[in-house]
Amino acid sequence: MFTPEPMSKVIIVAQKDRMAGIIEEVYRKHIFHIESFVEEEEDVTEGCKIGMPLPSANQASKDLLKLRSMINAFSIPKEGTEVEAKEAPARLRQLIEGELPALEKEVEGLLSEKTRLETRKKELEQKAENLKPFADVPFDLTLLRGFETMAVFSGFYRKLVVLNVPHEAYYSPKKGEQFLILVVPKEFRQDAERALLDAEFRPVPIPEAKGLPGEEIESSKKAVAEIAVQEEEIGKKLEDLKKKHTGFLLACNELLTSEVERAEAPLRFATTDQAFIAEGWIPRSKVPEFKEAVESASEGKAFVADLPVDPEHDKVPVEYDNLDFAKPSQMLMDLYSRPKYTEIDPTFMISIVFPIFFGIILGDVAYGAMLLALCLILGRMLKGDEPKMLLTTLRNASISSIVFGLLYSEFLGFALPWPPILFSRHLNIGAHAVGHGPAIPELMMMAIWIGIAHITLGRALGMINHARQDHGSHRTKAVMANLGWILLMWGILAMIWSAFPLPLMPDFSKLPVVVLGVNAATLAGAIMVLLGIIFIVRDAPLELVELPSIISHTLSYARMVAVGLSSVAIAMVINFIAIGMLIEPQLENLTVLGVVFIVGGVFVFLVGHVLNMVLGLLGGALHSIRLNYVEFFTKFYKGGGIKYNPFGMKKRFTED
Amino acid sequence: MADVATAVVAGEMTVEMVQASQIGMKAMAAAIAVGSTGIASGIAETAIGSAAVGATAENKDVFGLVLLLTVIPETIVIFGLVVALLLLF
Repeated sequence: MFTPEPMSKVIIVAQKDRMAGIIEEVYRKHIFHIESFVEEEEDVTEGCKIGMPLPSANQASKDLLKLRSMINAFSIPKEGTEVEAKEAPARLRQLIEGELPALEKEVEGLLSEKTRLETRKKELEQKAENLKPFADVPFDLTLLRGFETMAVFSGFYRKLVVLNVPHEAYYSPKKGEQFLILVVPKEFRQDAERALLDAEFRPVPIPEAKGLPGEEIESSKKAVAEIAVQEEEIGKKLEDLKKKHTGFLLACNELLTSEVERAEAPLRFATTDQAFIAEGWIPRSKVPEFKEAVESASEGKAFVADLPVDPEHDKVPVEYDNLDFAKPSQMLMDLYSRPKYTEIDPTFMISIVFPIFFGIILGDVAYGAMLLALCLILGRMLKGDEPKMLLTTLRNASISSIVFGLLYSEFLGFALPWPPILFSRHLNIGAHAVGHGPAIPELMMMAIWIGIAHITLGRALGMINHARQDHGSHRTKAVMANLGWILLMWGILAMIWSAFPLPLMPDFSKLPVVVLGVNAATLAGAIMVLLGIIFIVRDAPLELVELPSIISHTLSYARMVAVGLSSVAIAMVINFIAIGMLIEPQLENLTVLGVVFIVGGVFVFLVGHVLNMVLGLLGGALHSIRLNYVEFFTKFYKGGGIKYNPFGMKKRFTED
Repeated sequence: MADVATAVVAGEMTVEMVQASQIGMKAMAAAIAVGSTGIASGIAETAIGSAAVGATAENKDVFGLVLLLTVIPETIVIFGLVVALLLLF
């Protein structure tokens, strides 16, 4: 529960002609984490070479490439597709040879037709766009081209064009559109250009088109519309094909992917001319079963043995070994970093502490219930492991939120019919607010106590981790340093307790004076602090600069109160605005305008609380996970373990 | 304070008014404590945060580490909060 799954290092040695059969069996078992062979290594496998892929790899890769391009063309999502019926591999293989090429040809044809139409459509649209300024020109555009003695200008002008040379001009009849076509004899070209420059003329090239521009535009538009219809037809055909073949394509993808994976496995094996060696990791409990399976698959011609494990130098892959309850929290661990094989795995602690912290922050029956409902609904809708794990974690957190809501006596910022069992977080907001107000000092002290306990646990785990991982004098020093941190923290606490009486904390200030005006608790605290610092310095003198962190880390747990209070305050303000300011005054003396106000009040109430719930979810989740990552993990946890990734595949679309 | 004392003696301010203004001052001080430390944390976290997002985009494995680095300046606002709560309660 607190350590990763024990692993065994397994080696398989057999003749090369047995390789395909053994790979098949290992793939089917889906428990063997292959350790890739590296040629430079000088160990027992010296002189071996990296293996060559099986002969089937080439064809399977090619098929897979084509298949994937088709899956992309259909934009079939990899995840979340429902499985109707599993296909038998033999039948599928037949289909891959028979039907797949035909389907591929059809899709390719449709796609190229689609591209052609798209290009044509763009051309026509561009043409219409070019013709647009000439839309109202009542003559053939060919009349504007090919002159030897005339210069033609067309374009937009800003100011009035004043021209003192012989010319003919066409002005656009439309109001507001200052478009002009100007024809002048070539010898006056420069005069015309100057005049046009003065008029801030912006030329537009004369499009290469025949006939009346207006008609041309119309016909282009018609053609575009026709193309759009054709495109729609192709899209429909593609959609039909997609609907019909999605399951088949995904099944083919799975089959071919697994084939390629198997065919390429020898690239990770060490081989000689006649034999191959595969090294890898298997959960210890499954070794006998695996041995038996491989031996029977090779008719007793394979040598399978487990080798001694050296956890410090071997790259042991890490697989979690948790209770079902704690499993969803593995997601939170992977987000940070997977534990190393030799390390304590804190998943179980996170799975308990995270919901509690969340509940302390967002302790509200209504918000908790809404989140719970949301998790349950989304859990029905979403597929896939990771979202499920996240939702289960959130579900636990929202249950804890309901429990703490009952303890805090909170429901959407209102009080439940009983006084707070824990401490009150009810603020005095609004004109008629009466009551005691929040019990801030007690809440703070509660948070600090949780912090003290959490940090002490972290340091204790640090002692265990160092004792498990280190050797020699460093081991003792590292363990003592962690003890030193615990002593330091409790020493400081003892000194604070003997100086000030604090709520919810032991009061040592009344103890009799022992020596030099200080009492026993102060003295004990000072000795603990001194011892702690000595232990810490013995391990790493630089850690001295980290000493203040002991205060900041403990106080950091006050965020649970602060974030929680802010969410209560927002809820109460929403209630006050919606009910106290908008709804209640209108209800006393109902008018037509009053109904509008009441509707407004209900709107504020709903939107406000949804917003506050989202904020509370974000704040609650982020801050509780942060307290685990930053304040807890830094005390003992390194992470950086390799993920256990067994060779094989979870079949979703095909039969074994 | 001398001004307040003379004002009370002169009858311009009542004791209640003085108490009320003291409460107001306390609230103001608490607001400054939380507000200014909040701004300070924010400024400190902007640079770290953007670098952290960039690093995570390149390599997802560093998420845990960069999260630690990003939240280091949060200590400032926590201290501000503690000061404010001590002032108010």
